[in-house]
Amino acid sequence: MQDDTEDPVSDSTITPPSVIGGHQTFASVTDKISAIALAKRTRTGWFIGAGISFLLTMLLLYTIGYLVLTGIGIWGNNIPVGWAFDIINFVWWIGIGHAGTLISAILLLLRQQWRTSINRFAEAMTLFAVASAGLFPLLHTGRPWLAYWLFPYPNTMGVWPQFRSPLIWDVFAVSTYATVSALFWFIGLIPDLATLRDRARRRTAKIIYGILAMGWRGSARHWHRYETAYLLLAGLATPLVVSVHTVVSFDFAVGIIPGWHTTVFPPYFVAGAIYSGFAMVMTLAIPLRKFYGLEDFITMRHLRNMSKIMLATGLIVGYGYMIETFTAWYSASTFEEFMIRNRMTGPYAPLYWLLILCNILIPQILWSKKARGNVLLLFVVSIIVNIGMWLERFIIIVTSLHRDFLPSSWAMYRPTFWDFSMFLGTIGLFLSLLFLFIRFLPMISIFEIRTILPQAEVHEAGD
Amino acid sequence: MIEIIDKAPPEVDQFQRRALMVGVVASAVCVLGAIFNLDQFFRSYLVAYVFWLGITLGCLAILMLQHMSGGAWGLVIRRLLESATRTLPLLALMFLPVAFGVRSVYIWAQPVAADAPEALKQALAHKAPYLNVPFFLARAVFYFAVWNLMAYFLNKWSLEQDRTGHRPLTTRLQALSGPGLVLYGLTVTFASIDWMMSLEPQWFSTMYGVLIMGGQALSAMAFIIAVVVVLSQYKPLSEVIKPRHLHDLGKLMLAFLMLWAYFSFSQFLIIWAGNLPEEIPWYVRRLQTPWKWVGLALVVLQFALPFVLLLSRDLKRNARRLVVVATAVIVMRLVDLIWMTGPEFHEGAFRIHWMDVIMPIGLGGLWLAYFAHQLKARPLLPIGDPFLEEALAPSGH
Repeated sequence: MQDDTEDPVSDSTITPPSVIGGHQTFASVTDKISAIALAKRTRTGWFIGAGISFLLTMLLLYTIGYLVLTGIGIWGNNIPVGWAFDIINFVWWIGIGHAGTLISAILLLLRQQWRTSINRFAEAMTLFAVASAGLFPLLHTGRPWLAYWLFPYPNTMGVWPQFRSPLIWDVFAVSTYATVSALFWFIGLIPDLATLRDRARRRTAKIIYGILAMGWRGSARHWHRYETAYLLLAGLATPLVVSVHTVVSFDFAVGIIPGWHTTVFPPYFVAGAIYSGFAMVMTLAIPLRKFYGLEDFITMRHLRNMSKIMLATGLIVGYGYMIETFTAWYSASTFEEFMIRNRMTGPYAPLYWLLILCNILIPQILWSKKARGNVLLLFVVSIIVNIGMWLERFIIIVTSLHRDFLPSSWAMYRPTFWDFSMFLGTIGLFLSLLFLFIRFLPMISIFEIRTILPQAEVHEAGD
Repeated sequence: MIEIIDKAPPEVDQFQRRALMVGVVASAVCVLGAIFNLDQFFRSYLVAYVFWLGITLGCLAILMLQHMSGGAWGLVIRRLLESATRTLPLLALMFLPVAFGVRSVYIWAQPVAADAPEALKQALAHKAPYLNVPFFLARAVFYFAVWNLMAYFLNKWSLEQDRTGHRPLTTRLQALSGPGLVLYGLTVTFASIDWMMSLEPQWFSTMYGVLIMGGQALSAMAFIIAVVVVLSQYKPLSEVIKPRHLHDLGKLMLAFLMLWAYFSFSQFLIIWAGNLPEEIPWYVRRLQTPWKWVGLALVVLQFALPFVLLLSRDLKRNARRLVVVATAVIVMRLVDLIWMTGPEFHEGAFRIHWMDVIMPIGLGGLWLAYFAHQLKARPLLPIGDPFLEEALAPSGH
């Protein structure tokens, strides 16, 4: 399926042609995007997708109910594999969120205009991914209603968090991340919410969008403050792209388990997070643009740029695997060497080689310019990368734990039904939130798209 | 505007002569020193060599990076980066003393002492297939072949574009730069393991190559800023370089500074927290001996102070102040390399030999003279690049 909106010069230019395809005007942009949120009739396809997602969310709620009543023994993890799906899925979801932050904050500061059509739903994706991620450690505590003990607050029990533990850093890193991402997303929405308020015909819609728009009138003063706030938040969010997954990598690297304790983990985890995040943006963007006819807004140029970022971050991840393997031999440490050999030939070896196939080998096809222009292929590759990044976390976490220092404590890890139902359930939660988002909010930033139309360019006198 | 951009100013000639003089004198003094203390000569030489090679390879990486990213910042420094990469044949030649000094510098290249600790003996036996002199030299030949080939084609096509202005050349340069950066990453990683990490053959860190790459990019950016600022005092670059260019370059230096600090701190934290007997000795030698003051100086002068200063927009746009920060960063890079290698030579004891200071000056003088020579060889801006006009336009980005 070669896409027809392809622009031939997009690959090698400093000032490429307009980011927006077709012949859009200010009015047509507003109409096209707001119509999706304001439409009276909901499309059948939406109901089918949202319905399936909703059922999966019900499965999640059922699992959580059973889990809280019974205890986390319903999961497959047990000593020596004390961490399994709960943390695999946590890291997977948190990683996915990173593309949203990178697109909205770093690409904004780098003045990359092409970010504009994808930032809104990438940010929404970040939020929903962080929400899904947060469930896992919360429920893994066993008594989620006591999770506030993780925060340092003066209490009569003398309970105080262990600040030398990266798990506590995680609490702060992830909660900061969730807060900043939510603020960033909501502030970015305000001018568009006002547009929806003004265009809505039904009274309830008017009132709800009106409340959410927080009295936005679009005055010069509003815009002035808005721009300042948005840039400040972008500045605040930028370090989070690196810091959150760095702290997540410390969860492993600070311990001394072979396979976890290695110094390259922080940059390699961050690259992996961005890799999986862009893969998820592609997985979502490609069907969305098709289904809602948004090919003029999410153009081939976006898909090409994202596939280039995927290729680059995927290579960094490959570097991580390479240097880890080399150092395992070079270290001359029995345990390090055993760990790598066990990964490659041990009981989980098929998963390891599947991971190499999904994460390293198949994505190399993105070197080809032709492949970067093939939408169907990009969609397939992005799903493969999502699977590969999940397998990566499985391999890192499970293979490092199941062969302990003491052979007498070796054991195999097998996920139970409840491990899978919880994971599928969070996918359902994520997709349900996403379906609600694309139905009721503008999934592409209307006012920012207007600023990058050619008509918006102001020419100075004598220019 | 383009017509005036021709050759380098005559001041470059003068600089070249002075650099050559300093280089020859300082190197000659060190050669004299070699007569009295050959081992020390080879050690000091290694540090000086990896320092200047680091700047050159950093320039090679940034050159490929700017081909990939585009943007005005890359266009105004492209010729300076290219001139630096054209010194790679000289640096290949300058590797000879390192090759001759292998047995003086590296423990693994010496016969194992009978009273050596058992752990060291075992590690050396295990690593012998990798850490042995013939393979070490073969790898070095391979690294230099890769670096020189990449530099050769990047320079060749860029010069071709000066004449023809062909747009497909831009695409070709990009097509080389992508895989080129991959090759850069792999070669520099293993070169840094070979030449520096193996000084302590028992120690290992998977971050090491990344850390060295971060340092190379940082020192190269600081070096380029210094050159840009000096050249912008004279025609033709005085007509071209505007505060906004310096601003962009300053931001990049800040970014590399933060990256270097991030890599260094991550490595430190992970090894410190793990506190494993096979890893921690490296930091014990650097943080529980007088070397700790050098380490502290690195934290303050290679990170904290320049970081705070570079946050200022005014400073980044002020050529004179920016060049002070850049110079400090370059000097601290050398201190960093001494800190990374020095403790291995004296079993953790703090000792700085006079050749540790004179050798970088000597080697640097020779290298800078050759760099200046290369700078004169071509126009200071890529006059055939289809995007040059736009990049130099008053409001362009």
